[in-house]
Amino acid sequence: MGNIFNLNRFGFLVKRQWLDFGKVYLLTLIILIAVIFSFYCYFIPSPIENDNFDHDGNLDMRFRYGLFLLLGFLFISITSSSYFNILGQKPRAIQELMLPASTFEKFAGALFYTAILSVISYLLIFYYIDLGFVKYLNGHLNEFKMESVKQPRIKEVESIFKQVATDRNYLMYVSSFFPFPFLVMSIFLLGSVYFNRFHYIKTAISVVIFGYVTFYIIFKASTLFIGDKVLNNVMIQKEAILLWIFLVSAAITLTLWLITYIRLKEKEV
Amino acid sequence: MIKVNNLNFGYSKHQTLFKNMSFQLSAGHIYGLLGKNGAGKSSLLKNLAGLVYAKSGTLEVFGFDPAKRQPAMLEQICFIPEEFYLPAVKIDAYLKANAPFYRNFNHDYFTDLIKEFDIPVNQKLINMSYGQKKKVIIAFGLATQAKLIIMDEPTNGLDIPSKTQFRKIMASALTDDRCIIISTHQVRDLDNLIDTVIILDENNIALQASIEEITEKLSFKKVKEMDASIIYAEPSLSGFHAVMPNYHQEDSKLDMELLFNAVLKEKTKFKPYFN
Repeated sequence: MGNIFNLNRFGFLVKRQWLDFGKVYLLTLIILIAVIFSFYCYFIPSPIENDNFDHDGNLDMRFRYGLFLLLGFLFISITSSSYFNILGQKPRAIQELMLPASTFEKFAGALFYTAILSVISYLLIFYYIDLGFVKYLNGHLNEFKMESVKQPRIKEVESIFKQVATDRNYLMYVSSFFPFPFLVMSIFLLGSVYFNRFHYIKTAISVVIFGYVTFYIIFKASTLFIGDKVLNNVMIQKEAILLWIFLVSAAITLTLWLITYIRLKEKEV
Repeated sequence: MIKVNNLNFGYSKHQTLFKNMSFQLSAGHIYGLLGKNGAGKSSLLKNLAGLVYAKSGTLEVFGFDPAKRQPAMLEQICFIPEEFYLPAVKIDAYLKANAPFYRNFNHDYFTDLIKEFDIPVNQKLINMSYGQKKKVIIAFGLATQAKLIIMDEPTNGLDIPSKTQFRKIMASALTDDRCIIISTHQVRDLDNLIDTVIILDENNIALQASIEEITEKLSFKKVKEMDASIIYAEPSLSGFHAVMPNYHQEDSKLDMELLFNAVLKEKTKFKPYFN
């Protein structure tokens, strides 16, 4: 067997990690389903209530964008933060480090659970709950009273994913910000290896401090070197900015993953 | 099998636990690693297993550098720590999840050991007593057929019959290609089990010698009065338990506790005998 990566051994590792990570993960999924379901039940337009339409005259489903982003952030950050938290407990850390699998396989296992499984399961859960409610609403459209003059009739509600996939503008933003969830994961995964206790809160505090310091430095540097006049003269292309957002966030994500791998390799008990 | 050269290790820059430590361990032996609290028994075992990194010096375990934690090396090491964790699953599930990593895992041997230790197989591991959990870990470790077995305080938490059982099982587990290192502060638990003693003191190995060599060179006796030939003695009800040079090649039973205390207190006197 190879000492860096062996598919067979990686398969054993993924199965083994399910023993520990799986139960917590499934429990988190159940909570996630309950939370999404509750929010939809509470915020979905209802024929017995007024104020069901947005300013374009469509049934108001705007709550789901915030819900999708906020809950998604919480879900992926919590699952990433909990993956390596066992390394903070001496007995479990010994067992993990002594397991005959390479550090790369252990790291790849972490990516599988945090970057692949978590994202896919979150998207699927959100998709199906959203679709269920959208179908329910579309089946009861005639029960709503038209309040807006902007639309001749009540338009069918689209699922959130269909909206994104069919709108070029949405699609452009989504593809530019595509690395962001992975960036969040990489930060919290690194935190789970780096800190021995209170991983989540310590990582969150570190991110806030780092964010403030970076913002302050960039702001000061730009004021010092560029000043107001140059900024006013520069024609900034939106596509170029979005491309930079994509490239920079992807580069930071990959760097953080690399640091996590090195920290894992150097972990001592 | 294990080569350590000029090992320097400490948990901080200013605190040195091992200073230029060098030794070799070979297969076919059960080594008893003794030392005071804080002497570095567990740390030495962790160095050998690659769980901590040396500041300088070289360590070789089956030709591997333990710090690299390569799977080929890890599957040949069974490390049984003093504190351990077992998940909330039954033995079968634990085996299914962990045994595949060890190519030579012997399921029949594991079943035999579990039977011998009288472990309830249908109970979840997490609900077992500390002693039962330890037995499961030991049984699993031995069934991996690892070439190096490292045990840190293995008899802690075992009742008296289990300690006897443990000694019996460990004695039978020793093969020509296997090296067993047992660290303990309960030296009497290792009686009749280990064949080589390693005593740690003051950042280094104070003594590494086989039981045969020790009893060949030293004599452990009960004496009524002290005399000049006695290297070290401890008072007892009927006189003294003494360690003295074995000038007349007399047979005596090694008193591990006495030897341990003697080496720590009269290190310089012992040096000429074990160089």
